[in-house]
Amino acid sequence: MRSSSATAAPAAKTGRAAETGRAAATASAAYLRLRGVQKSFGETPVLQAIDADIDRGEFVTLLGPSGCGKSTLLRTIAGLSSLDAGDIAVAGETITHLPPQRRDIGMVFQHYALFPNMSVADNVGFGLRMRRVNQAERRERIDQALTLVDLQAHARRFPHQLSGGQRQRVALARALITRPRILLMDEPLSALDAKIRQHLREQLRSIQQTLSLTTLFVTHDQEEAMMLSDRIFLMGEGRILQHGDAESLYTRPASEAVASFVGAYNTFDAEQATRLLGHDTQGRRFAVRPEALYLVADEPSSSLPPNPGPGCPGRIVARQLLGSIVRYRVDCDGLSMNVDTLNRGARFLMATKTPVVVYADVDEVRVMS
Amino acid sequence: MRVDIERRRRDGLALHWWILVPVFVSLALPLAATLLYAVSTRWGATLLPDGLTLEWLQRLWQTPRFLAAFGRSLVVVVASLALSLVLILPVAFLAHTRFTGLARWMNVLVLTPFAVPPVVTSVGLLQLYAGGPLPLVGTPWILIFTYVSIALPFVYRSLINSLRGIDAAELMEAAQLLGASPLVAFLRVILPNLRLGIRIAIFLSLSFLIGEFVFANLLVGTRFETLQIYLFNVRRESGHFTSALVITLFTFILILTWLGNGKSEIVAPEERAS
Repeated sequence: MRSSSATAAPAAKTGRAAETGRAAATASAAYLRLRGVQKSFGETPVLQAIDADIDRGEFVTLLGPSGCGKSTLLRTIAGLSSLDAGDIAVAGETITHLPPQRRDIGMVFQHYALFPNMSVADNVGFGLRMRRVNQAERRERIDQALTLVDLQAHARRFPHQLSGGQRQRVALARALITRPRILLMDEPLSALDAKIRQHLREQLRSIQQTLSLTTLFVTHDQEEAMMLSDRIFLMGEGRILQHGDAESLYTRPASEAVASFVGAYNTFDAEQATRLLGHDTQGRRFAVRPEALYLVADEPSSSLPPNPGPGCPGRIVARQLLGSIVRYRVDCDGLSMNVDTLNRGARFLMATKTPVVVYADVDEVRVMS
Repeated sequence: MRVDIERRRRDGLALHWWILVPVFVSLALPLAATLLYAVSTRWGATLLPDGLTLEWLQRLWQTPRFLAAFGRSLVVVVASLALSLVLILPVAFLAHTRFTGLARWMNVLVLTPFAVPPVVTSVGLLQLYAGGPLPLVGTPWILIFTYVSIALPFVYRSLINSLRGIDAAELMEAAQLLGASPLVAFLRVILPNLRLGIRIAIFLSLSFLIGEFVFANLLVGTRFETLQIYLFNVRRESGHFTSALVITLFTFILILTWLGNGKSEIVAPEERAS
């Protein structure tokens, strides 16, 4: 265990090299590899044959609604939950049946799980103490870890004397100090308020990138996933529905389940899509994001997409102000959809019952599998 | 308006004093009378005692039989508390973290010593342990084992509450992921955070068990004279003397309870904040 943590250290320093080398690495050489991971609680299947490959230094988010199995997947990787079937391997070494203390994997919990009887420094140093690192080195590395999360001044405090954000940073330092091969985070920001969450998100991402740390991050917050991740694994009902970077997941959802989770997609059947697109279509279900639809009131607008389709006349049914965005509910002869426009000022807001024409950016209409 | 609220508050205050004071007086009066009796020279025909003296208390503390009984009581109580902690701590921990299905059964099991009246239990115990392979009746052992079962609910409940309060399961997981074996995680992380619960368990049961009479009298009687049995046996001697005994015992329990509670009040607000 100690030798592997020692090999992880130089790798962290040569993060850039690993970055460039990643393209050459094939899927079979993935750093963290899951094969056919299955788990059920009694009769209820929680994980259904999950396969995943995660590269060294990659920040991967498991995104999905509550109860989709994302936390359970994280816990099986940590060794806190057992598997019914399947294999987990880190750097080619199978860890499926190792107890958590021998996996060399760090974890940050939603509710911090700091040890209340220990000071910040003792909490952070716990992992080193368990590895029998001598006191001088321990002290130095505690200092480094606390500097990394900006908490040097709080080393002698106790967890109950810290704010939520500070506690989570202590938990992060505690998980990082042993230089784990993989860092797991189970909704680490969900218990914090919006402003601190935003700040901590940025701090977390920059620490992860400096250390080039392979990270698995669980969240149900789509925005958080998009801001942080190299790659997002979208999960639903114990499966990985789709994975890819934020852009591909958001603009090219492969299924209706994905579309409904990552954006407020409008979905249509073939007949409705034909009316909107003006030509016959291949496929049964179609989805288009509300911001890929264009509203034109009476005068022709200059801001139409290059491939706008024939346009669909209708009326505004409802209006919802979402800050920088105005979302209109438009009804085109029984075909009802959401259209997002930029909120450019009160003068440009359209009242309900205003007659409009809806144009679709035909290139942005997705066929669902 | 403001005056109204002020007055109402004062009235409310007055009302709660009207309830509190009589209750307090009715509880404290017998005690005060006992205390006074313990330190008075003679208190016969007059409303107030003739004079005050510490003679009774002094004589009590010079009686070897009393000191021996006190010692026996302490030995039995401390031994049974130690035994019940050793027994129940692992059970409570496992019921809370590993075998959560057990918790339901433990809740029922833990109440049974209270559901059966002590006299009935003692008769059963006497039949079981008077002879046979384990002749325990009359030895301090039977008293220790019985007290373990009486202390069970106090110890178990306060331990479970502390375990729940610190989220023991998650702390165990965090410690293990940092490289600790389950045993080390338990000793280094869980146990130190249970100090409060253990202290409350100890002081609660201690003050309860040291005043226990029924089991002590029926199971060991004069063969192992505990404090309560001694008190019962000397009840026909001087009333001043027994009063001094009662006051001594009361003060002892009061100090124990105060130690248990006083500390917990200092710790509690911090625990809540974390």
